[in-house]
Amino acid sequence: MSLATAANIAQSGLNAVTAQTAVLTRNVSNANNSTGASTKTANVTTTTGGGAQIISITRAQNLTLFENVLNATSSSATQTAISAGLDQLEQTVGATSDATDAQSPSTLLTSFTNALQSYESSPSDTSLAGSAVSAAQSLAQSLNSATTTVQGVREQADSDIAQSVSQINSLLQQFQTVNTQITNGTATGADVTDALDNRDAILKQLSQQIGVTTVSGSNNSMNIYTDSGVTLFQGTARTVTFDPTTAYTAGTTGNAVTVDGVPITGSSTTMGIQSGAIAGYVNLRDNIAVTYQNQLDSIAGALISATGETDQSGSGGAEQPGLFTTAGATSMPASTVGLAGAIEVNASVNPSQGGNALLLRDGGISDTANSNYTYNTTGDASYAGRIDQILTNLSAATTFSSSGGIGTSGTLSDYATNSLSWLQGQRSSVSAASTYQSTLLSQATTALSSSTGVNIDTQMSQMLNLENSYQASAKLISTINSMFTALMSTMGVTS
Amino acid sequence: MGLYGALQASVSGMAAQSNKVSAISQNIANSNTTGYKEVEAQFADLVSSADQSSFNGAGVTTNYAYLNSVQGSFTTTGTTTNLAINGNGFFVVQNSSGAQFLTRDGDFTQDSSGNLTNDAGYTLMGYSLAAGAASGVANGSAGLVPVNVSSSALSKNPTTAGTLSVNLPSTATAVAAPAALPFANTAASAFTDKTSLVTYDNLGAPVTLDVYMTKTGTGTWELDVYNKADATNGGFPYTNGGTPDTPIASQTLTFDPTTGDLASAADNLNGGAATPTSAIPIAIPNGQTLNLNISGMTQLAAAYTTTTATVNGNPPSGVSSLSIGPDGTLSAVYSDGTEAPLFDIPIANVPSPDSLTPITGNVFQVNSESGNAVYGTPGKGGLGTLNSSSLEASTVDLATQLTDMISAQSGYEANSKVFQTGTTLLEDLVNIIK
Repeated sequence: MSLATAANIAQSGLNAVTAQTAVLTRNVSNANNSTGASTKTANVTTTTGGGAQIISITRAQNLTLFENVLNATSSSATQTAISAGLDQLEQTVGATSDATDAQSPSTLLTSFTNALQSYESSPSDTSLAGSAVSAAQSLAQSLNSATTTVQGVREQADSDIAQSVSQINSLLQQFQTVNTQITNGTATGADVTDALDNRDAILKQLSQQIGVTTVSGSNNSMNIYTDSGVTLFQGTARTVTFDPTTAYTAGTTGNAVTVDGVPITGSSTTMGIQSGAIAGYVNLRDNIAVTYQNQLDSIAGALISATGETDQSGSGGAEQPGLFTTAGATSMPASTVGLAGAIEVNASVNPSQGGNALLLRDGGISDTANSNYTYNTTGDASYAGRIDQILTNLSAATTFSSSGGIGTSGTLSDYATNSLSWLQGQRSSVSAASTYQSTLLSQATTALSSSTGVNIDTQMSQMLNLENSYQASAKLISTINSMFTALMSTMGVTS
Repeated sequence: MGLYGALQASVSGMAAQSNKVSAISQNIANSNTTGYKEVEAQFADLVSSADQSSFNGAGVTTNYAYLNSVQGSFTTTGTTTNLAINGNGFFVVQNSSGAQFLTRDGDFTQDSSGNLTNDAGYTLMGYSLAAGAASGVANGSAGLVPVNVSSSALSKNPTTAGTLSVNLPSTATAVAAPAALPFANTAASAFTDKTSLVTYDNLGAPVTLDVYMTKTGTGTWELDVYNKADATNGGFPYTNGGTPDTPIASQTLTFDPTTGDLASAADNLNGGAATPTSAIPIAIPNGQTLNLNISGMTQLAAAYTTTTATVNGNPPSGVSSLSIGPDGTLSAVYSDGTEAPLFDIPIANVPSPDSLTPITGNVFQVNSESGNAVYGTPGKGGLGTLNSSSLEASTVDLATQLTDMISAQSGYEANSKVFQTGTTLLEDLVNIIK
């Protein structure tokens, strides 16, 4: 071995340390990178001639923990999405902050019943009649505004889905670019660690929107599938499509999200996704909000049917909506769908619309021109028969549609109370699930970060090692130099 | 031996030392030349006649030994096409007029015409893999062409092979009437699971294959492949110009009820003939037949999961970089990450490498003493391996050369002393006559 070779080897040592320091600098500067930069390591190997050489730069990675983070991100996003919607739904029953339910149909129904009972005791009192009608109006308006809110939540969820879908498509395009960079770089032996970090960050963003699983291929390439197995990315990005519906009413069915031609939401699909924000929005739009709307509609339907007026003359006229009706209705509604949004107090009994509140006592609200529907045929000022009948109807057990999901029989008042507690139950269970999932997410993130993230302490101690080895290599070069100088001075060469 | 003989011998000694200094100066001058092999001046005595009573020395003669088989140390560079041989052998290069030489100077870079040319202007030779496997011969340079990396500017590889491994959920509900199976290709066709694969046709255009997996009964599934381009709103029916498609491939898969592994596949398009599960033939529209390996499929009581989905082939793409393996395979790495071998770079060796004739530009010429060149694959048959992105440094050791120079200098001085003494003796002889 010659002196020149020795100098060469010492030089390669310097180069290796320099490259390692560069990697270390990258690590330290990314120590607080919130996107989760991993620790990079420069792998040094002995070259054929005996020197040192950086053969590759690799990064710390833990596939299992990363998968946990992706799953936790998706599940957490699902609960967050539902939770936000339920917060809005709960506004239909009053302020969410102090948990009052002053505006709930249940409370207003009780107020209405109470007002009717007061009126029943003195049927001749016009002001009591007015209060009863006004309580009825509050109840109808509460159902109307609840419907508006529920449909608003569905519209919001629909537009959130559209936004998620466009974000997924754009993330998949970014993924394609980075994935190509990685496969290309891996094939040529380039440093792809930053691109891998970048790809992980994209995957995390993607998992927020939709639950994903990944499958690795050759040259570090990666395929992405939804958590139900539909291809999102394999070679190229697949298209995620969604046709938004801008206006929702009760009974509107939103469109399904499709990936690669396969619907991933909706009741008919065999490959429905489990998690991600989209799963939450869809659950909100297609299940929770719809169920709550059905409950509201059932309440409205029961109100209309409890206050319906029958033909008193015996001429066999059909039953007609009385106190509670829908705009322009001349017959009892055949289905409850959408009733909560349309229910109103009949104008003929509403003093604020020029009606006569005393019709509540006398009947004939449905058709003032037709005396067949008048109950108080004699005009008795103390007649309480009709009010009594309405009260009986309201407190009688009745049958509700099963689509409300809270039982099909019971009194209207029980049903309204059940509806309220159903909503509050949903909210508290989702809120608990949301807290649980976000705890899981933060634990998974911490575990991943401590497994693959940058530890400043380790980096600093490594820096000391690098410094020492740089000094040693530099010392070698200076020693070799003095040896050459000694040889040269022997030859009479002075430098 | 007479005085003149002594003078003659000392002159030849001085000449020999001059030769040695000249070799040393050549070595020192090339102490940083890539692939340079040290030359050493070696001396042999010359005797015209010698017996018990007299000695007639004729001095010394110089031979140059080229230490061509000494391995130089390696320096790393950032250029992929910089090559160094670790072990025996030489690169085969040619000059501008087509004459072939051997060299250890692997400082190759792409020149204006795309050839890999070293710093001395010699072009690297190799076997083209454009038409499949190389057709070189061991004892001749037949088939060697300049390694040109620009001709491979755009390339594509149609898909021919792939692997698809999924777990099909054994708990899934079998598709039953009124829904039709995907094989029927009607709007009522229903499926259990679907995946898709991007493949490449003959022209490198991407063809997305929709792969439907449908449970038809306990342990039996139907696998149907359609061309996504023919889909109606992303699904059934698949039509081409109004005519409903026949599936590109349709197989009935039977799973082992005990292990859940794929037991057999029967081709629905071919009267239920058995198909090897390691190569399900799928004729890609306008492309090659994709032999899809589905032998890793399972049917277990778990959710539908893809474990492997890979296919070969790539779209038309430019060369993004080159990579050269230790066995001399020069591959183009395309911008989509796939690799395609372009050239095999052979290395040649001769029975006596030290006898090769050195020529300007770090190259050597084969001669009768060195023996004929034998061409082979790096790493095989005693030949060295190729190190990419590195260069072989000059074998000259400066310290040795300087030390040799001191000995040459003192040798020259001694010879001149002998010459001086001989001259003095001659003068003395002449003075006797006075």
